[in-house]
Amino acid sequence: MVKKVPYDEALKRYKPMAERPLPPSAEIGEDILRTFHPDYISDRCTELTVGANAGDKCHRQLAEILQSDARIDEADLAASVEEETDVLVIGGGGAGCTAALEAARAGVRVMLATKLRLGDSNTVMAEGGIQASVDKDDTPQMHYNDTVKAARGQIDRGLAAQMVTDAPDVIRWLIQQGMQFDLDQYGDLISRRAGGSTAPRVLHYRDYTGLEMMRVLREAVFNSDVEVRDYCPAVELLSDQAGHCAGAVLSSLKSYQFSLVRAKAVIIATGGIGRLHLNSFPTSNHFGAVGDGLVLAYRLGAKLRDLDTFQYHPSGLAYPLHLGGTLITEGIRSAGGYLLNANNERFIDELKPRDSVAAAIIRECLEGRGIDAGDGTCGIWLDTPGLELRNPGIIEEQFPKLLHLGTKCGIDPRTQPMLIHPTLHYQNGGVVINKDGASTVPGLYCVGEVAGGVHGRNRLMGNSLLDIVSFGRRAGLAAAKRSHSSSLRQKRISVEHLSAYRRKLMLANMPLEQKGPILFPEYAKFENDSDYSGLRKNTLRKSTEIAE
Amino acid sequence: MTETSKSLISLRINGQDIAAPESLSVIQALWYAGYPRVKGVGCLQGVCGSCRVFVRRAGRKDVTTELGCELLIDEGMDVHFLSYPAAAHRKYRLEDIPISWDVQAKFHDIFPEAAHCRHCNGCNTTCPKEIDVQRGVELAVEGRFREAGEEFVECVMCNLCQTACPESITPNHVALFSRRVTAHFHTRPSNLINRLEKMRKGELQVKE
Repeated sequence: MVKKVPYDEALKRYKPMAERPLPPSAEIGEDILRTFHPDYISDRCTELTVGANAGDKCHRQLAEILQSDARIDEADLAASVEEETDVLVIGGGGAGCTAALEAARAGVRVMLATKLRLGDSNTVMAEGGIQASVDKDDTPQMHYNDTVKAARGQIDRGLAAQMVTDAPDVIRWLIQQGMQFDLDQYGDLISRRAGGSTAPRVLHYRDYTGLEMMRVLREAVFNSDVEVRDYCPAVELLSDQAGHCAGAVLSSLKSYQFSLVRAKAVIIATGGIGRLHLNSFPTSNHFGAVGDGLVLAYRLGAKLRDLDTFQYHPSGLAYPLHLGGTLITEGIRSAGGYLLNANNERFIDELKPRDSVAAAIIRECLEGRGIDAGDGTCGIWLDTPGLELRNPGIIEEQFPKLLHLGTKCGIDPRTQPMLIHPTLHYQNGGVVINKDGASTVPGLYCVGEVAGGVHGRNRLMGNSLLDIVSFGRRAGLAAAKRSHSSSLRQKRISVEHLSAYRRKLMLANMPLEQKGPILFPEYAKFENDSDYSGLRKNTLRKSTEIAE
Repeated sequence: MTETSKSLISLRINGQDIAAPESLSVIQALWYAGYPRVKGVGCLQGVCGSCRVFVRRAGRKDVTTELGCELLIDEGMDVHFLSYPAAAHRKYRLEDIPISWDVQAKFHDIFPEAAHCRHCNGCNTTCPKEIDVQRGVELAVEGRFREAGEEFVECVMCNLCQTACPESITPNHVALFSRRVTAHFHTRPSNLINRLEKMRKGELQVKE
């Protein structure tokens, strides 16, 4: 059993101090990731046996759903409603809304389908901000260099260069949609420095940057010609005879029916996989983040990349337990907040890249310098009172979301430190795309967290909000262009690719019990919810057959 | 500490009697007790406004509105999920307001009922984020859009305020209109404009 200091005792030992120099012992070696980062837990990965990435390394839990059987087959679709649009966007977060807005403004019909409500996404929870080099001492080149360096060498350089070049215009576009940013007395944008970067470059609105972005984009979509289908998860893509993407099958959680939506282009913007709780980690992710888009794209033949690497955000709340995994912004560390172990010592430069900081926290916990959070969990202090001592008023002024979280925890972060532990935050890899967000399957675009290559093996704070708008706009325009130049007539659409995939699974002796996409985390018990049995009739029938 | 050694709390959620360990939120308690819950669940971090609940605590007469993901369960609590209504949306596009001098007139075209506020305080009572909603609407009606928007920094668009309004005002959309026109017409950061201008001239190219 690893030693942990009891919470109350550690709290008694803690005294706020304005200054705490970094001890020389806090210098980290090269091997900290290999020894302590969850990406290197032995046996966490397997090799994919079926599909475009057969032979590639992939996290076991992700491999299970990528190599799952479809929820539906041809027979389920016989009586379904058929509909038609030009561009179908799947996913209603920041990336999906941006892509839908740009496609609609380019003059094509756009339908946006989302599993829950418009705006239910990880975007709404992003706190720290959005990167764009606007300060005079900063350049897009420096932004690019920092992004590539943090990525640990495994990045699509063309995508990274495109994103940093788009950044200033992305900010202008967001302001045009009506998004506010924190400004100085002269009306200039204020920036914070992200861990692992060489200049302050993270623009923000308090610690509510994602919420501010999402409420503005959602309002813009609701006031546009985009047709929004809420509570309509996509359960499969449609293909034409050439194997190109030709639409999707939506399953309505309101009408309990399937509908077939033909489209000239499909944009997947379904986000990541936090709610799969990889390696049993808590997560900062939205309830719906279970990798739907990856499963759909992979089954249609799209190439994926970097499926063995995920980001664990250093500051997830560890106590109280009912709010475990909740994000506390990196902005606290940017502003100078310390991390302290149970002995009240700093143990790492807090502005190292996220993977290093997360690994160092895990090391403290494993080596007996962690604090007991109850129920087998452990954490270290985020020294918010020290930050407040150095900068009186800063927490109320810049971090209202943290103050609100404190209220819900019964903790005033201005006088009491918060207990934190890394929380599963971001899927680094994903669908292979080009600068237009186009996947390797014609007609299928992927943007945002579902896509890979933009951030390599480790993403910088503030590059995700930038990614979704930069590539969201590009994919929206490219999809609109594609639909201008193609026709829906005489194309036969089907879900034939599903039978081909099922055949491959059977030939490889893979189990067919697991159905995907899973749509909701297991603990929400969607599969037991009698309201939705109509949407699972194929699954139910198959499982009885197996039982017989 | 294992879950079984913890004391169980008894409460009622949507009419179901439930027992769950004391450290759970309302949504976690429902899942713990084995009831499926998909609709009305969102970010699970108090910023999406999906899991709105009515709550009556043991021995209390008043009913409050809260977010189920943030609400810690309590002995004898009675909780009801509020299903999300189809929001009434005003159709306006910022692009249709040609100049900032017209914003106030346009506002009253788009939100004519905003001026009918009865000051009943219903919106303020219902807001789970303790925003002074009524004051925000008042400021917007006076054309003080920047100040109106400032009142709503923490708004998660849960729509409870519009449900509470007897005049069918949509205060959260009034607020968002106020915030959006402020950025759209008045945010002109010189550092951003300088950077865009340099890039337009082809300076600052990125080498891979």
